[in-house]
Amino acid sequence: MDPSPLRIFYLEDNPLIVFHVEAMVEDLGHIFMGSASSLADLVKNIDSLEADGVLIDIDLADGRTGPAAARLLRERGIPSIFVTGQELIAAEYPQTAMATIGKPVSSSDLADKLELFRHRS
Amino acid sequence: MSANDSRLDWVLAMAPYRRDADYLEVLLTQHGVPVQRAAGVKELAVLLEQSPGTFVATHEALNAEVLETVRRFLTDQPAWSEMPLVILLDRTASQARIRSQLSAAWPRSRQIYYQRPVTALELLSGVQSSLLARLRQRDVRDHIEREIELRRELNHRVKNILASISSIFEMTRRRAVSLNDFSNDFAGRLAALANVHSAVFQANGGAVDLRHIVDLTFSPYEADSHNRLVYEGPSVLLSPEAATTLALCLHELATNALKYGALSEPEGRIRLEWSASSSDDILTLQWVESGGPPVSEPSRSGYGTRYIRSALSNLFGTPPSIQFRRQGLHCTFGGPLQRVSLKHREV
Repeated sequence: MDPSPLRIFYLEDNPLIVFHVEAMVEDLGHIFMGSASSLADLVKNIDSLEADGVLIDIDLADGRTGPAAARLLRERGIPSIFVTGQELIAAEYPQTAMATIGKPVSSSDLADKLELFRHRS
Repeated sequence: MSANDSRLDWVLAMAPYRRDADYLEVLLTQHGVPVQRAAGVKELAVLLEQSPGTFVATHEALNAEVLETVRRFLTDQPAWSEMPLVILLDRTASQARIRSQLSAAWPRSRQIYYQRPVTALELLSGVQSSLLARLRQRDVRDHIEREIELRRELNHRVKNILASISSIFEMTRRRAVSLNDFSNDFAGRLAALANVHSAVFQANGGAVDLRHIVDLTFSPYEADSHNRLVYEGPSVLLSPEAATTLALCLHELATNALKYGALSEPEGRIRLEWSASSSDDILTLQWVESGGPPVSEPSRSGYGTRYIRSALSNLFGTPPSIQFRRQGLHCTFGGPLQRVSLKHREV
């Protein structure tokens, strides 16, 4: 396994979940770059975004905008993974994120799926 | 549901004899009830799909094909629907036999029979009561749809709350040095979440005043600390999500003050001030502790500090400023009002 840490950004509008996933990401030895709660926030900061991969909830503060965020990031060469309790809805957007992590997020699932980001950059 | 539902209820009429059909159409139209006529079985199927308020048919119209078309339509009705049918029978026909045949052939319908000749008044009142019954059915449908929507929304919220509690649990567990410690911290955080939930519920899912959130958070500390907790600021209406995050952050600041800060000593004080500038629509909150033990930056940040940093960055788009000043903790945070107000989020 490649030991170099990954830089991870998170799109999620529940700050408690961000808080928890942030700690899990850091425990895995990766770098948590920050979070945003909406597609609008992401768009505003996208030029300064430095990340090897982005975790994205399907429903954000501005609606079901997670898939649009994944598409936008993909155009910029940044891969993403959905993190959602609604896996069936995630499956409706196959050409957007690389994978889906179910909620509640388990550390082992997160560890495995984050490794996918290495093969895309 | 189809767009046709929104228009005024109308009657679907089927009468092979032109005289009957004309009579029906004139009578109903004169009384403000729109009528559409089905000449054949194909047309009947199409019009039934458009969900008429009532189906009026003469006995002669009911051939095998028509019976079957209506039967299929009735069988496929959604659960709320029980189509009213008005049937005009011949004087010579055997009423009882036809009635029992039709009610066996046509399930889930509300059937009214008239024997011709029928007075205009009688027929009209039958059609109108049928249309009224149909209207009630549509009300039931609207209630059912609303309930499905509410259940979906409830499921979403429950999942969200469970995820929140699970995060609080995991994060509290990480930093707990003893079971007792864990249990106190976890119970405190859960109570803060429960209190803000009640406030949000009382607000009918609408906006919650920041002042109310501050009152709620401080009330457990106020009994034995009169005038040591001072807060001041204008009324600011928050979305339920923003209210929850701010309540949990204030809870962390307050418990921190009680354990290590201003509230851990009798002379300590806390001042919380907030302002909402109308010129640039920015909400700013300032938490200032004084009179407590000398403060220094902890070597390892705890749950409270980490949560406040993470949550407030997410909520406002900018991180809070947390300063461990010697005379007391100083914490400033805020951002655009529209990020925390109700209209920001589409429900």
